[in-house]
Amino acid sequence: MQAFQADLAEFERRNAQVLGVSSDTIGTHKEFAKKNGIRYPLIADPEGRVMNLYGGQDRITFLIDKTGIVRYAVRGVPNNKELLKKLDEMEKKRP
Amino acid sequence: MNKKTIMALLLAVLFAPSLWAAAPEVGATAPSFEAESTTGTVRLSDYLGEKNVVLAVYYQDFTPV
Repeated sequence: MQAFQADLAEFERRNAQVLGVSSDTIGTHKEFAKKNGIRYPLIADPEGRVMNLYGGQDRITFLIDKTGIVRYAVRGVPNNKELLKKLDEMEKKRP
Repeated sequence: MNKKTIMALLLAVLFAPSLWAAAPEVGATAPSFEAESTTGTVRLSDYLGEKNVVLAVYYQDFTPV
């Protein structure tokens, strides 16, 4: 999750909002965010409501476009370069 | 149990986890959500028409990756 923070400006340049989701509580998230300088929102999902909608407990990253359509999904630790490339393509397609 | 039953059971066990955790596919509408975050309430709908969203599901804070 620190990798997203490191490249946050690159994501923002592509008009993308990064959101992290895990089963941690707000308290743990705040501690984690403070310790690692994470400025983007970390969603607390202790009951797994959001995670269940998006494929459970696996590490999985989605790119959702401005119309709410899933454009890319990758399991495992995501590669920021790949995500940024996909976002470039998504931005090009939109007027 | 005959071979067919055993095979059916085996397949059910093998594929059950993917049924429990069906991730939305590329091209599908992202499920809407509203949840509490470190920066307040977050709704997917807040970003529609405005921004692309990178939604990163991960195990837990304070894990190595």
